Amino acid sequence: MPLRQFSISSLIFILVFLIQESVINQLHLPGSGFSLPLLIALTWAVLSTPTVGALTGFISGFFMDLSQSSSGPMGHWTLIMILACYTVAFLGSGNDNVRGNPVTNIFLVSIASVLTLLAFVIAGLLLGISAGSFYRILITILSNGIWALLVTPLIMPIITKLYRVVLRDRAHT
Amino acid sequence: MRNGGEGRARLLLIILIVTSLFLITLDLRGVKILDGIRSSTQNILAPFQKTGSTLFLPFRNFVGDVTQLGRTRDQIEKLKADNAKLRSKLLLRKNADGELSQLKSVLDLAGRAGYEVVAARVISQGASTSFSQSITIDVGTSSGVRKNMTVLSGDGLVGVVKESYAHSALVMLATDPEFKVGVRIAGSQQIGILSGGGSKRASLQLLDNQNILKVGAILLARGSTYNRPFVPGVPVGIVSAVDNSAGSIAQSATVMLYAKFSALGVLSVVLRAGKNNPGDSLVPVAPQPIPVPTVTIYATPSPSTPTANAK
Repeated sequence: MPLRQFSISSLIFILVFLIQESVINQLHLPGSGFSLPLLIALTWAVLSTPTVGALTGFISGFFMDLSQSSSGPMGHWTLIMILACYTVAFLGSGNDNVRGNPVTNIFLVSIASVLTLLAFVIAGLLLGISAGSFYRILITILSNGIWALLVTPLIMPIITKLYRVVLRDRAHT
Repeated sequence: MRNGGEGRARLLLIILIVTSLFLITLDLRGVKILDGIRSSTQNILAPFQKTGSTLFLPFRNFVGDVTQLGRTRDQIEKLKADNAKLRSKLLLRKNADGELSQLKSVLDLAGRAGYEVVAARVISQGASTSFSQSITIDVGTSSGVRKNMTVLSGDGLVGVVKESYAHSALVMLATDPEFKVGVRIAGSQQIGILSGGGSKRASLQLLDNQNILKVGAILLARGSTYNRPFVPGVPVGIVSAVDNSAGSIAQSATVMLYAKFSALGVLSVVLRAGKNNPGDSLVPVAPQPIPVPTVTIYATPSPSTPTANAK
């Protein structure tokens, strides 16, 4: 991933982070809403190679860590997002049945978002961070999965177009 | 080539993971710089969040209403019930305050005259369609109230007990057309008979023509034999108009009764009069006018200019 593409991707994730903090978080959606940086990073990773996926996870995770509402230490989301995006990219790479099928991508992103949150909670517990009652965790993760199923079809076309624009050079090569 | 690419990818992954672990370690060890990054980010985000919060407030309220529809409805019902309860309490409190004030004034009046009284609350107003002016009070024979006893309010005479029952009594008001009471003009021994007129205005018929009646004269109850039905000295009313028509045998006048008949709440029934006649001691004190301070300003003319003098 050349420096120019990395910079553009970073700008996009700054914008996404800004939208999350100033719009999505203000809507007070039912079931604690959804995380737009998480969904966009996972969608981006589905379309990418594992290297780009890991970098995407790093950028998005870093911004998610910067959020005041983040409960964990700095680097907590970064670590989880690197692993999640790398894994998603790894599962999708080299398999055109996955990459070319939007429905599969949507389900992959939704399941990945649930597992990412679960991993975040488990890693938080290992780091000694309280995440609330089991019931609350369960509701938050499940509702995030439902939100992911609803939101991913809406953002998928936009992210696909953006991805093509940003990584056009790479696609041509 | 492929092996080289995979190797670089793995190396990058390891570097990124190590970086994130490094960040976690620094944060958990309490390195201030990371807190600074977070707080700086929050400072940058704050205006955006504030704007977003303001812009999306209607949507947020809508979402809140939809998600908490049942709870909101229950809450509204509960708040309505609470509101009604509080309104009722406030009304009762206002009522109680009014009654307390009336009780205080009537006990004050009775205390000055040395009357033995029993406090009573008005529980019913007589029907106006019967053309009689009466009320029912919540004390009766069980409290020592008997027929033909004087009934007072803090302002003066209200009426007389017409009928007494075990726990209530019927009071004929001074406004009743059949009501009659012997009165004396305060400060003199001039006497007359006051008759109810169906309203707050009553008519007075003096028994002699020796003294001239004036507007503003205060009337007190003259008292009856054995103090029943009327005890002496109770303020009744004030003369508001005098009929001085020539040729009439006795002077007559219109009297404005003191008692506020439209707001009767707490009253007293006089069970026994004092040992001594109170005389004029119960005459209400006329309200004193509030003095208005007068400020006099002396203006000293300024010395005129030489030009003005020349002109």
